[in-house]
Amino acid sequence: MIRKIQSQPGDLGEAVSGYGFMAPAILVLGLFVLVPIFYAVFLSLHKVQLLGGVEFRFIGLRNFGRMLGDERIWIALKNTAEYVAIVVPVQTILALILAIVLNTQIQGRNWFRIIYFLPTVTSSAVLTLIFIWLYNTNGLLNDFLAFVGLPTYNWLGDPNVALKAIMLMNIWSTAPLFMVIYLAALQDIPKSIYEAAAIDGANGWQRLVHITIPSLKPVTFFVITMGIIGTFQLFDQSYIFSEGKGGPNNATLTVVLLIYQYAFKTLDMGYAAALAFMLAAIIIAITLIQRRFFGDGRLN
Amino acid sequence: MSQPRRFLGLDICLYGLLILYALITLIPFLWSFSASFKPLSEIVSGESNFLPRNFTLNNYRQIFIEEPFFGRWFFNSVLIAVSVTAFNLLFNSMAGYALARLRFPGNHFWFLLILAVLAVPSQVTLIPSFLILKAFGWLNSYQGMIVPSVVNATFIFMMRQFFVNFPRELEEAAQLDGLSRFGVFWRIVLPLAKPALAAQAVFVFMGSWNNFLTPLLILFDQEMFTLPLGLNTFKGQYISYWNYIMAASMVFTLPALGIYAFFNRYLIQSVTFTGGKR
Amino acid sequence: MKRRSFSLATLSLATATLLASCVRGLRHIWNSERRNQPQTVTVSLSGWQANPNEQALLAQLLQDFESQHPAIKVRYETIADQYMDVIKTRLIGDAAPDVFYLDVFQAPFLMNKKVLEPLDAYITQDFDLADFEPPLLNAFQDRGQIYGLPKDVSTLALFYNKKAFAEAGLSRPPQTWQELREFSKKLTLDRNGDGKVDQYGFGVIPELARQAFMIKAFGGRLVDPNGYAAFATEQGLQGLQGLLDQYRQDRSSAQKTDVGTHSGSEMFAQEKVAMVIEGNWAIPYLTETFPALEFGTAEVPTVNDQPGTMAFSVAYVMNQQAKHKAAAWQLIAYLTGKEGMKRWTRGGSALPSRRSVAAELGYDQDPLRSAFSAGVDYATPWQAGEYLPLIMDNFDNQLLSAFLGEQTLLTALQQAQATANREIAATQ
Repeated sequence: MIRKIQSQPGDLGEAVSGYGFMAPAILVLGLFVLVPIFYAVFLSLHKVQLLGGVEFRFIGLRNFGRMLGDERIWIALKNTAEYVAIVVPVQTILALILAIVLNTQIQGRNWFRIIYFLPTVTSSAVLTLIFIWLYNTNGLLNDFLAFVGLPTYNWLGDPNVALKAIMLMNIWSTAPLFMVIYLAALQDIPKSIYEAAAIDGANGWQRLVHITIPSLKPVTFFVITMGIIGTFQLFDQSYIFSEGKGGPNNATLTVVLLIYQYAFKTLDMGYAAALAFMLAAIIIAITLIQRRFFGDGRLN
Repeated sequence: MSQPRRFLGLDICLYGLLILYALITLIPFLWSFSASFKPLSEIVSGESNFLPRNFTLNNYRQIFIEEPFFGRWFFNSVLIAVSVTAFNLLFNSMAGYALARLRFPGNHFWFLLILAVLAVPSQVTLIPSFLILKAFGWLNSYQGMIVPSVVNATFIFMMRQFFVNFPRELEEAAQLDGLSRFGVFWRIVLPLAKPALAAQAVFVFMGSWNNFLTPLLILFDQEMFTLPLGLNTFKGQYISYWNYIMAASMVFTLPALGIYAFFNRYLIQSVTFTGGKR
Repeated sequence: MKRRSFSLATLSLATATLLASCVRGLRHIWNSERRNQPQTVTVSLSGWQANPNEQALLAQLLQDFESQHPAIKVRYETIADQYMDVIKTRLIGDAAPDVFYLDVFQAPFLMNKKVLEPLDAYITQDFDLADFEPPLLNAFQDRGQIYGLPKDVSTLALFYNKKAFAEAGLSRPPQTWQELREFSKKLTLDRNGDGKVDQYGFGVIPELARQAFMIKAFGGRLVDPNGYAAFATEQGLQGLQGLLDQYRQDRSSAQKTDVGTHSGSEMFAQEKVAMVIEGNWAIPYLTETFPALEFGTAEVPTVNDQPGTMAFSVAYVMNQQAKHKAAAWQLIAYLTGKEGMKRWTRGGSALPSRRSVAAELGYDQDPLRSAFSAGVDYATPWQAGEYLPLIMDNFDNQLLSAFLGEQTLLTALQQAQATANREIAATQ
């Protein structure tokens, strides 16, 4: 409140500097992100032919209506939702644990940090090779599972586990990214708070629950939102595993894979765009709900 | 070492888990590192030996010497990644700071718009973006690779989330001392944001360094190619030259890893930062 | 019906274009001052790169073309991945190359969109069009016009491991599909008795691109005259049923992922399977990478007493927007002419699509290549109308589930057909 009164005379100045600070972002995002999105909105309301004699025919919301009768969308949505529900919590918690552990004074933490980061820099072509090698029926993973007495699977062939194989791969390669973000955020928690808590006799666990995790809230909102976006937009791994087809029996079909198929294979851009906005609406809705739980650190 | 000594058993357990996870992340990397020194026949023989039986430098020779453009591709990748990273660090931080701190009309709108933009999958904006670059005459050029990526909505969002948590007191003090808004940002806020900037630098660099789809669409000439594009040609329609792919992937993994190792220092609590009067 | 309706989107795109044209105009003024060169024209050419050797060969060919045609320069723009996606995007943006590769399987889509230049008017007597294999040439024709000239062709044939055959007491490759199944049983071995098969008789690839001829073998058809999928019939599935029974009942065949490999040639090279049906591109790969592997090739065993295989072909096509069409034609004529094709196919990873070149190179006498060369005559070209890419995705997606035993072949493929046809209908 006090601050608000203080900054009253500078309101106009603050508006000017606000837009000054935002100018490069608004300009570049506007031109290279918003204009294409507007164009896609336009496409989604049309029956489009882009190649050889460009043609647009306004068809209102019919591209959206078409989704209702398209059973593959429901399969893709179900696969994607299952994927999001498992991958996002696991990778977020794993990243948080790794960051907290590696932020302590343990021996060799620098080495651990670098080694843990390796999966994110490994190229996807190499990941494919490694994972087909790891995941095949006589591969290392099954050897290991058999060794510890667990059941083995046909990871790549069996539709019931194919998606899980992709989940494992995604968690393994994304968690380190979020670990780095958490590490950065941990540096920003003022040490004085911990010192004060220590004087009050709080133990390590209490400090974690009452100081560390609440202070990380805004960053957690970022990590979860990006996790949701990344998993809802799952494409690469599923494309690699099924050669872009989504098989076996639609087990690895994802919404973005469908969008890709429509957008590039049949150049049905109108429908592809409609699907994309349906997906975007879902992502935004979930993000907004999520924001109620975590809060995004509002400007108050 | 302010922490009290714990049980030895707990330590062993902790290190055990850390080492186990390190093996999970290290083994695939080591395996592909070793594979980059194997001939193709050994890689596809189906055996999983870690030490190359027929050690060869041929794969690297194919990349460094047989590819006449290797140096050029490397230069292009560095030029693009470095300039993109520099611009992003500045512009994303400015926008993130404005969204987190400055009270201007439309603040909330822009924030939600940035979130919304992230939710739209890029597959449907690829063709429109291509048309825009074409209209600018920026196909097959450095500016086509750089300008559209000087700002990144993801990292504006990230920087905002970091700045929201920052204590305001220092900024207010500095403002009272007569620093302008930009002065506060540049002299006070950015130095405090080193860990976030380091994380951002790593991600933006990696994103640009590994970017495949944009250069695939907009770069035509071999002289303009970036490393991932130039080195992708070993993956054939029917037959993949895994030996070259492995060597190529090592060549473009190591710089990204190096950048991370370099910026890693800012992710460790530094005396100057935490010792400040916060 | 409202055509070309206007909206915010087009307005903003228009603004962007306007802005851009200023930039371009300035640049044009700048460039035109420096551009006072002699009369050479540049033709751009795009393709994908199959392997480093092929790349070097093409570079050599282009260099020779340039020295024969000093007024034409060729700019080679290789596309590193997702070839068709990139070509389509560049065609939409009027930024596509003048001449480019086109796979036979994708040809109907682009021919139908009228973005390719018909070549009939350019073809002269001494180009000798009649020399091309007719089915391959037909594949690049639409409504009586030629849109592409096939640069080469590949077919499938049976690869068999001579050592494994000798071990099993087999003296010759199988000639019928029944024989293939019998032989496969003998060739399926669990060497150390741990209950896991170490060598399967046959490596099966359950993909439409490899199996389309199986649908034809008993009188089925892949698509109807309107391009809708029509394979899910009793006759259409009989050939595939044999493959499936071998996999599920005999357990004498394996898929690539079952044995941890990425391709048919890899599972054969690793001796995980004793036989595989693969393309001629596998020959240089196997002989160069696995010199110790003793293998032979034979024609694909007959199904229902008929010979059958697949033919894959790639053509050079011209962009309708090409600036220097005469020069672009010169390039196509050189690359698909007798001399150019001879040099291109001498490398041995693909067969010539011209009969005279095939005869000259003697591939019908070559011990490893004669089976492939023979197949050209009766092969099913990998093409079935504009919607084949869509049909293929659904087919492969579902065939796999039949192989896993989740559904019968008929239900799986009926589902594939229904989904594909629903989507085809929706795109119209």
